[in-house]
Amino acid sequence: MDSAIRLRGLHKRYGDTIAVADLDLDIEPGEFFSMLGPSGSGKTTVLRCIAGFEQPTRGTVALFGTDVTALAPFARPVNTVFQDYALFPHLSVIANVEYGLRVAGVGRKERRARAEEALGQVRLAGFEARRPHELSGGQRQRVALARAIVLRPQALLLDEPLGALDLKLREQMQVELKELQRALGITFVFVTHDQDEALTLSDRVAVFDAGEVVQLGTPRDVYDHPRNRFIASFVGSSTLLEPAVSAALGLGSQAMAVRPERVTLDAATGGVPGTIAEVIYTGPEHRIVVDLDGLGARITALEPNMGAQNSRSRGDRVTVSVEPAAAAPLEAEPDAA
Amino acid sequence: MQIGRVARYVLGTITLVVLGLIYLPLGVVFLNSISTSETLSWPPPGFTLEWWGKALHSEGAFEALGMSVMVAVAASTIALVLGTLAAMALSRYRFFGKESVNLLIVLPIALPGIVTGIALNNAFRTLMGVQLGVWTLIVAHATFCIVTVYNNAFARLNASGTRLEEASQDLGAGLFTTFRLVTFPHLKSALLAGGLLAFALSFDEIIVTTFTAGPGVTTLPLWILQNMFRPNQAPVVAVIAVILAVLSVVPLAIAQRLTAKDAEAVSR
Repeated sequence: MDSAIRLRGLHKRYGDTIAVADLDLDIEPGEFFSMLGPSGSGKTTVLRCIAGFEQPTRGTVALFGTDVTALAPFARPVNTVFQDYALFPHLSVIANVEYGLRVAGVGRKERRARAEEALGQVRLAGFEARRPHELSGGQRQRVALARAIVLRPQALLLDEPLGALDLKLREQMQVELKELQRALGITFVFVTHDQDEALTLSDRVAVFDAGEVVQLGTPRDVYDHPRNRFIASFVGSSTLLEPAVSAALGLGSQAMAVRPERVTLDAATGGVPGTIAEVIYTGPEHRIVVDLDGLGARITALEPNMGAQNSRSRGDRVTVSVEPAAAAPLEAEPDAA
Repeated sequence: MQIGRVARYVLGTITLVVLGLIYLPLGVVFLNSISTSETLSWPPPGFTLEWWGKALHSEGAFEALGMSVMVAVAASTIALVLGTLAAMALSRYRFFGKESVNLLIVLPIALPGIVTGIALNNAFRTLMGVQLGVWTLIVAHATFCIVTVYNNAFARLNASGTRLEEASQDLGAGLFTTFRLVTFPHLKSALLAGGLLAFALSFDEIIVTTFTAGPGVTTLPLWILQNMFRPNQAPVVAVIAVILAVLSVVPLAIAQRLTAKDAEAVSR
């Protein structure tokens, strides 16, 4: 079976800046695929190359086995949900959703029926006659989604679609997006700088940095086994252990990343002694920062909030241990300081 | 911001004086149009509606009015088409010499009319070997009418960015469909405002007109200039001036309404 989206040697340069560097990527049919990275890491440029808004400097874009590199956006079987929604302000909600069907020459009756169905799928029935400026951010988001899925694209491209929503609404929309993707069974390519969002939603995540994919895998791969310092610190939080600290903890002799929830305090046996430097109360858990004796290093542990049972204070003496399987060895980075 | 009492009176007085300087002469023109004096002597010795009757039966004035409207409509239409195309090209595409083209399009509005007039007059007669006529006049007016359309359309296109056009293309619409369904509706009010301004510029233009209108082509400003100092005609000219002043309020009101409506739409 052909990949839904296949990029080969995709390269994009703006003047002297390389936005995307010789990227090879295969996205499978029906996959929820996220491109995660800080701003300027090239993820949006890749999305715009897939949609056809940007012409790559070199390399190819193939959709379902067909090379579309030279095709204009309107000739590609994908649709986009834009970051700021880009709804047509002079058209009503239903006219916005019908737009793609209208330019495709679909009859009035059929396009009305399909547009209403799409609005139902995004739970926005009853808003047909409103204008975009009369809607809330979340409702505009749904119109943008309906407008794209009404064309039954083979792949949907989403450019930070939840970026403008507040936290509660964002979490709700995440669930709905995932459900919608399952119901439609089509490929979603999701661009985000929010690692939580990428981990929650995706089948696979590509982590971008400086125009390159630095790690590609399932959310579990990326979270549990970050390949290098950048991923370990960008995706979730972790403590980076210098080789000497790794050795003291009995983990080996190279730099490692360890997630705070995998650090155990006061285990039955062994462990490196230290003093608690800070206890941060976050509600469901305590983040405990420990100064390790004689190593000049700190490590963060996470303990669930069990009330008075496990309360700790600054200055307490503890031992710190990390299971070897819980630490991820990091690739050496010659350019890292 | 708080303004002191004295400052308020001073500023109020200045405002009244300036507004008076602008509008009192218009009142004088109106009084002249109903004055019994043929030479517009001041103060008016008496009042009469004779001039209004004469003006309404003056063939010269109405022919000139028709000519002015025709030239202004033609020049504005050319300006609307070319100005929109130029604005699209300069706001949506990158090409060699773009900055220079931008400057060259806008320059005619800054050039003194007398220079434009002489240059076009020479070019038409010697370089191109064309007889001066109505068309030379229309083309001459179009050179500066384009600027107002272009400026309005260019500003609107730049402010709106390309995101709606990208959305349209993403949904399957080609270049012309996108222009028809998305860009043009968005541009409409800017084009109308630019077109009205172009019409107004052409309508009362006199310097370039003097140099580029062929014999027998008399626009209203030319007619007024020719009749202003003729005995018996001066009060008729005053009548025409009053009519024009009243008529010119209409496009102004339309343009203001459009701008207000747009501002409202943007602020939402």
